[in-house]
Amino acid sequence: MRALVVYCHPHPESFTAAVRDTALEVLAEAGAEVTVIDLYAEAFDPVLGRREWDAYLDGPPPGGPLDGHIAALRAADTLIFVYPTWWYGQPAMLKGWLDRVLLPEVAFALPPEGDIEPRLRHVERLAVLTTCGASRFLTWLVGTPGRRIILRGLRLLCARRARCLFAAHYAMDESTPASRARHLEATRARLRRFLARQPG
Amino acid sequence: MTRALVLYAHPVPESFGGALHARVVETLQARGWEVDDCDLYAEGFQPVLTPDERRGYHDLDHNTEPVQGHVDRLRAAEALVLVFPVWNFGYPAILKGYLDRVFLPGISFVMEDGRPRGNLHNIRRLAAVTTYGADPFRAFLLGNPPKRSVTRHLRAVVHPKARSKYLALYGMNRATDADRRRFLDRVEAGMKAL
Repeated sequence: MRALVVYCHPHPESFTAAVRDTALEVLAEAGAEVTVIDLYAEAFDPVLGRREWDAYLDGPPPGGPLDGHIAALRAADTLIFVYPTWWYGQPAMLKGWLDRVLLPEVAFALPPEGDIEPRLRHVERLAVLTTCGASRFLTWLVGTPGRRIILRGLRLLCARRARCLFAAHYAMDESTPASRARHLEATRARLRRFLARQPG
Repeated sequence: MTRALVLYAHPVPESFGGALHARVVETLQARGWEVDDCDLYAEGFQPVLTPDERRGYHDLDHNTEPVQGHVDRLRAAEALVLVFPVWNFGYPAILKGYLDRVFLPGISFVMEDGRPRGNLHNIRRLAAVTTYGADPFRAFLLGNPPKRSVTRHLRAVVHPKARSKYLALYGMNRATDADRRRFLDRVEAGMKAL
């Protein structure tokens, strides 16, 4: 198993960091080869600029600044996103990672005729581990746009029978040490089962 | 005069996104709106919520300081019009970061009895003008995340009786010149009736 963990939180000591560490422990138990991208630590620039937009349909330029990210994505059969949900979606930094890295010829192809073609068929497991300030009810009411962006939108580009996992601690502002500990243990158990299952 | 804040997010002025932006601004001005044209790319907006901002997020006395200018512009507006391309079924990062950094507690919402309540009651008109690479059926299957973000999240924080509209051109990857012209006209009509 080759896992890519894309982690996005401004504080190294946050609860989201604890969720990431739990995921890394479970991945180590499973014997996975793991790459971690820590977007804040590397001061990732999320803004897709003019030069990239002009060259967008050509796919990634060789020797470009995103080579490491693209190589890590191409090598992965397991993709795990760990981030806080802000305004029902990914933080801008992570949204910008999707904008800049999920390029034509990396994530999909756009043939002259017909539908787009997936290029992430090598990704057999896709997971979102997140926290929400909003309650579960409010998140449901708004319709979970962030969850849909990854587990439906990105999911379309992955292996046909890719497995998905979504684990969220809701109402974070009312969380307690006990609720956070429970969430970490529940996430550990769910991730173990998730990684043990074979795709399809 | 009534004031409209246009939040525009596209890196290329000569793009179709740029044409939509121009049509929105011209139409609103012609109808007598005072337009505050916020071109996030041209202004070099920095969309990343910093560690210090995260730490001070709930400090209602100081949390607006890093983005005070944007907060003032947002609170002065009676209409909010977003013009952006849908990328990966969401806002471009630069626009998502505007929400992350400017839609602060005390500004876009306040807590009442432990529940969030929308607080941008100065905004009585809300509109989004957007384009999708995907066709409408695909967007529907995915549950149309950007539409939900606008018509549910943003709609919930502006004035409860605000009018809102969501103008979208789907299937941009296959759109013809005629499709684009028709959409520009639809946007013009939408802005006239804002």
